[in-house]
Amino acid sequence: MKNNVIKNNKMNILKKPELLAPAGDLERLKWAIRYGADAVYIGGSLYSLRANATNFTLEEIKQAVEYTHKHGKKIYVTVNIALHNIELDLIKDYLKQLDKLKVDAIIISDPAIIELTKDLSLEIHLSTQQSTLNYEAIQFWKNLGVSRIVLGREVTKDEIKEIKKHVDIELECFIHGSMCASYSGRCVLSNFLTTRDANRGGCSQICRWDFDLLDQDKKNIKGEKPFTFCTKDLSMLKYLTEMINLGITSFKIEGRMRSIYYIATVINVYRQAIDNYFNQKYEYNPEHEHILRNVANRDSIPQFFDGNYGASVQYYNGREEVSNQDFLGIVLNYENGIATIEQRNYFKKGDEVEIFGPNKPLQTIVLKEIYDEDNNPLEVVRHPKQIVKIPLEIKAYKGDIIQVKKSVDKNKKM
Amino acid sequence: MKILTTPRNKNELNKLLTYSDAFLFGIEGFSVNFANNFKLEQIKEFNKIIKQNNKQIFISLNKNMHNNDIKKVKEILLSLNELNINGLFFYDVGIVNLKNKLNLNYDLVWAQEHLTTNYNTCNFWYQQKVKYAFISSEITKEEILKIKQNTKMKLIVTLFGYLPMFTSKRHLVDNYLQTFKLDKKGYYIHKENKIYPIIDNNEGTVVYSNYILNGLEEYLELKSNNIDYIFLNNFNIDEKTFLKVVSNYKKLNSKNLEKIKAELNQLITNTSKGFLYTETIYKVKKNEK
Repeated sequence: MKNNVIKNNKMNILKKPELLAPAGDLERLKWAIRYGADAVYIGGSLYSLRANATNFTLEEIKQAVEYTHKHGKKIYVTVNIALHNIELDLIKDYLKQLDKLKVDAIIISDPAIIELTKDLSLEIHLSTQQSTLNYEAIQFWKNLGVSRIVLGREVTKDEIKEIKKHVDIELECFIHGSMCASYSGRCVLSNFLTTRDANRGGCSQICRWDFDLLDQDKKNIKGEKPFTFCTKDLSMLKYLTEMINLGITSFKIEGRMRSIYYIATVINVYRQAIDNYFNQKYEYNPEHEHILRNVANRDSIPQFFDGNYGASVQYYNGREEVSNQDFLGIVLNYENGIATIEQRNYFKKGDEVEIFGPNKPLQTIVLKEIYDEDNNPLEVVRHPKQIVKIPLEIKAYKGDIIQVKKSVDKNKKM
Repeated sequence: MKILTTPRNKNELNKLLTYSDAFLFGIEGFSVNFANNFKLEQIKEFNKIIKQNNKQIFISLNKNMHNNDIKKVKEILLSLNELNINGLFFYDVGIVNLKNKLNLNYDLVWAQEHLTTNYNTCNFWYQQKVKYAFISSEITKEEILKIKQNTKMKLIVTLFGYLPMFTSKRHLVDNYLQTFKLDKKGYYIHKENKIYPIIDNNEGTVVYSNYILNGLEEYLELKSNNIDYIFLNNFNIDEKTFLKVVSNYKKLNSKNLEKIKAELNQLITNTSKGFLYTETIYKVKKNEK
């Protein structure tokens, strides 16, 4: 049985936080729900800050709402761009449509949108674009009718405590994913360097570019690696129990443009951690940090929450990240000990691999035999989306994921 | 149309009094994107000089505020109430909440630098009794004029200077120097033949455009369309040159435009029209990804 409420050692009642996942399209949304998200946030094809994600048409939002509600989950729609005059004509009608589709909330950064929803029943969440970091600002938004604040990423543990003392409102915090190098909303590098509008969904991630740092005489100051704004990703796994004890309503995962493999892996780790905590069998497992780092091909650490935003959080790797090759395949079906698998990356007979599924821990398996759809034996699986059959001794389910085995050196400092 | 500038010291203030109609100052520990910030005592002194010359004074508290800033911010807000300032620039909306609670006598300036991009949001803030908007530098001239046509707010438009394009709490230059054990100080970053000023100080890191916005040719059009203030920014520009720039803007009219343009072109290179005629891309086409 899953507990949704427990008492902590100070006898305070703790509610299980919402695990909020990103979904760049309907497929990702379904994976997020399947792997245990309590809620998802999506962008419409208009007015959303991740214009490079596929995003949802109104018809797709309708389908997404139906799917999400059918599974007893919530869905929030981002309407968080910095609006220009040209976008004003259609915004009211768009909000009416979202209201009609019964989305659970919209995530806004422009307060004028609140005025436009006065006659609607839309719940309003405030986007991190406003970089809200103090209780006076939160009180302002609460007075306007905002029901939830997505806090700025710069907020610390003690500041969250202080905010909770001053204002009774739902708080949402990022727990995992990429970090802006700037205060959210205060970076227009993309506008200036590529004319892509950072605050209207066109961010071209200039913060990940390399630059030369120059001295007063404009001479190069050369380190071993080039200068960059880039920071490591955020991972709050280490502080998860502290965050639960702070009474934060919603734990948000960043990444509407991430792959289904990333979404499934990250949600799986946090889902298990939260559930185990509320079932009083949680123990912090550094191996999970390794899994989280590996799926993004980037280092991830806590950052501002524990007050650390110094040199150790910067990311001077001198290269662009390569796409993850660890995702080997998806289980489509399991019957009579045979798993039918759709390939995502190269693997071969004899490989030792891992399998995991919704709320199910990683297990290692050896691919002793592989067959094609006509039951012909195969040595290698090299074709994208190739369907193969693999006898498995452990039970698998539709939607389970097969990945490269990631050996963990337990002596290595996390 | 009034000219707003931000003097770096008392000496520069005294010189600018001849040409500038209004002055903007940052306060130490609470303002970002200024060449210099000041203590309240200095502000009081500047206020006296400015009032004696029948000019206007604005103060900017435009950093992102944390809980532990609130107590001091309250004190500053109350002190400013005694100075009879013309307006207070804010980024963090906690300032608006405090202004309502403290019943202050001065106006507020909505200055969420890159987010001040449409007239509907101007009208929202106007209803919240915010009388001025400091307009984003990333919108076009046409957009600025349309905002003016559709709001009662007084608009402040940046027309000259390096433009801030990145503000962070992180100490990005120090972090780099520390990581690679470099005993130097960074002032610029360089990419593809373009050099961008970068400042890392107590409040974090700010990066500026590689060019100087110069909207001299647009000045008269903005004036005839009742734009209320233009802001001329002196960041990274020497005092003598800047004074010349402000004096030129002040005496500009349709008859001397070409002469002044030529004069300024000799004085300053590396200028640009910024986004006055350039629309940013809203949505990237799939084949561009």
